[in-house]
Amino acid sequence: MKLTNSCTRAAVALLAGSALLAGPVKLLNVSYDPTRELYQDINAAFAKQWKAKTGTEVEISQSHGGSSKQARSVIDGLQADVVTLGLAYDIDSIAEYAHLLPANWQTRLPNNSTPYTSTIVFLVRHGNPKHIRDWDDLVRPGVSVIAPNPKSSGGARWAYLAAWGYALKKNNGDDKKAQEFVTRLYKNVPVLDSGARGSTTTFAQRGIGDVLLDWENEAFLALDELGKDKVEVVTPSVSILAEPPVTVVDRVAAKHGTTQVAKAYLEFLYTAEGQEIGARHYYRPRSPEVAAKYAGRFAKVQLFTIDEVFGGWQKAQKRHFNDGGVFDQIYLPGR
Amino acid sequence: MCSNADNNVYLNSIVLRASAQFIFEERLINMFHRRFLGARAKGRASRAFFPSPVARGAMWSVVALAILSAPISAQTPDTPPAAQTTDQKLEQLQQKVDELDQAVKVAQRKQELAEEAAAEKAKTEATVTADTSGFTIQSPGGNYRLKIGADLQVDNRTYLGTGAGSDIDTLVLRRARPTFFGTIYQNIDFMFRPDFGQGTTAIYDAYVQLNYLPWANLRVGKFKPPVGLERLQSDDDTTFNERGLPSDLGPQRDIGYQLSASLFKKRVNYAVGVFNGVPDASIGTDAAVSDHRDYAARVFLTPFLPEEGLLSGLGFGLGASGGNTDGEALPAFKTFGQQTFFTFVSGVTAAGHRTRLDPQAYYYLGAFGLLTEYALNEEGFQKSGVRREIAFRAYQVEVSYILTGEKKSFLSPTPKKSFDPLHGGWGAWELAARVGDWEAEKGIYNYGLASDTTSPRHLYEWVGGVNCYLNRLFKVAADYGKTDFGGGALNSNKLPERIILLRFQVNFI
Repeated sequence: MKLTNSCTRAAVALLAGSALLAGPVKLLNVSYDPTRELYQDINAAFAKQWKAKTGTEVEISQSHGGSSKQARSVIDGLQADVVTLGLAYDIDSIAEYAHLLPANWQTRLPNNSTPYTSTIVFLVRHGNPKHIRDWDDLVRPGVSVIAPNPKSSGGARWAYLAAWGYALKKNNGDDKKAQEFVTRLYKNVPVLDSGARGSTTTFAQRGIGDVLLDWENEAFLALDELGKDKVEVVTPSVSILAEPPVTVVDRVAAKHGTTQVAKAYLEFLYTAEGQEIGARHYYRPRSPEVAAKYAGRFAKVQLFTIDEVFGGWQKAQKRHFNDGGVFDQIYLPGR
Repeated sequence: MCSNADNNVYLNSIVLRASAQFIFEERLINMFHRRFLGARAKGRASRAFFPSPVARGAMWSVVALAILSAPISAQTPDTPPAAQTTDQKLEQLQQKVDELDQAVKVAQRKQELAEEAAAEKAKTEATVTADTSGFTIQSPGGNYRLKIGADLQVDNRTYLGTGAGSDIDTLVLRRARPTFFGTIYQNIDFMFRPDFGQGTTAIYDAYVQLNYLPWANLRVGKFKPPVGLERLQSDDDTTFNERGLPSDLGPQRDIGYQLSASLFKKRVNYAVGVFNGVPDASIGTDAAVSDHRDYAARVFLTPFLPEEGLLSGLGFGLGASGGNTDGEALPAFKTFGQQTFFTFVSGVTAAGHRTRLDPQAYYYLGAFGLLTEYALNEEGFQKSGVRREIAFRAYQVEVSYILTGEKKSFLSPTPKKSFDPLHGGWGAWELAARVGDWEAEKGIYNYGLASDTTSPRHLYEWVGGVNCYLNRLFKVAADYGKTDFGGGALNSNKLPERIILLRFQVNFI
């Protein structure tokens, strides 16, 4: 018993010593491809707020890549305190395969843990020389479509499902015709990048393709960077409500002792300031007030959800994107 | 300076050649690509090339005349339909150029992506290395790692005196231990090391260690309990071929749980554990023999960091264990020559408490090394229903000096130059000496637990050695050891054990 007491006292002393010697709190946010600029601003604003609130400095590192690739990295040991990925299924995978967070993670924050939304739009070249107005224009012969690989990119999966959903709607729910439509679309895709940022590079920097299927925020970012004399954003008549979720990676954060700050970091995304930053980066805000303020930024588009059309991510993933799924059947490189 | 008419004639000839042959001559493609690509949004290359309506009119006049006056030979059956205008042909050419341009760009981008994918794959592919630290398979980032090593020792024992028991000169495979050490999920280490030496097969180390808390790593399995200093030193790092007498009084391996860590920049090292309990110098039977447990703890301080001067090589501490010996085998004590010199009489069993205390220290300064250790045990035995506690003690002091100037430490030195005499490399050479003493209290005879005619209760040893580290992995060591016996009426006259012990050792992990 004496030994036990001594050990306890020693452990308490060591913990106290560690706390005294601690430097800035460090967080790693593992995110998807197009959020680099968003989280640079979010991180700076949150660090300032956290310092003012607690007196503690926080340093937030970012890691970006295709959403599914990022999830794989976390499963393989990348020490993410928080993940802010392109779709819920990727975080579900972390919960399922690495057990780093509970299965009900999506219930822990408002709006299914998605503080902002986006959708899929088209980025075309200046003057829209191929006259691309809606999804039907993407399957015309001679139209070259740039899109990332749905096997590795969250944005690409949203885009694929947006096209499928449009075709279903147009054909009165005829699944076969929807598959034919999406097959024709991907026949027009000459190159698949692993993530949204890579596809933007392919389209904008390398000058390949007539239209880029992209996140709305990424398309507007490209528009800002390249200029209106180079590209234009075309919003289709129908698209999907893309909900990129966020969550704390419980076991990693607990190990790092960052659970509290990680939670606060994600909650900050829901604040007026966080929502404003998101809107400025062309993420559709959840807050009605901020949404009203930035209403002019976002085109009105008929949006459907993945739950409505596909029955949720688990079903969509299993049918379309798992190995041997529909995408593997319709997209044959070099065909 | 070219006139518009000159331009028109030149364009006329180009158009005729293109329309007649539809051959993408490199010069033509380059020209069109260079001059028209920026103007294609307007859809009319001619407008780009001839901006004024007058110039365009002149051009079309010349083009019409050129077509009408073109040689008959040019109007072969391959000639496109006359209805196709030059403008359309130019657009077709432009379209072809654009298609080619896209095809080239797509091919380049695919190549670029393939290279990126290859680089990415390299980041995620495991690496296999073979070097002086052994053979390693490792995932990117080191979260998963397997090191394969070996510990092979061949001893040549030459006895120069009658010794304590059997003193047959022999070559012996002292240790033959393949070693598997690794990491999984970044924070979990494991070790598996059996021994096939001396004609037996036994598991020496088999444990997992969870390194989630930097101040408390949890180890579970079979390993060295935290008591003796030299026992905790790896056998390939010990200065002498066999450990000193204090190691006879501590556990060698045991199965249990242990929390340990190095704290405050490794100035404080601690370990506490609960074990099955094993007899002195034993590796146990891989299962407990009673419900009692041994508790072991050790604190070892190295207060000065490497850059903190003359005392940076100082380390000192205390190891201890407590438990119960009920049901255990009796301990067997061995000389430097690995002869069992002490046996209990028939009818004696291990029973009662056991306490071990082991103050210990080392000091290293440059090529010089000093290691000392004192072991004090009280152990319970039973004979004819009567329990007795017997005290044992042992100490050793060893000093060493590396003649070739390498730095001495708790680990084996790495030679400045590996052994390669043809190229001036002689490895690292070390001289070492040790004195030690072992004693059991008189009661061991008085209580009838041992016979003073066969089991001396007092040993005094000294050992001198020369070590040659040929390289980081291979060592040849020659020791001369002399052990004097005393304490029993007859054994005080027993001849000392004198032995030359030559060892060839390969170790890597």
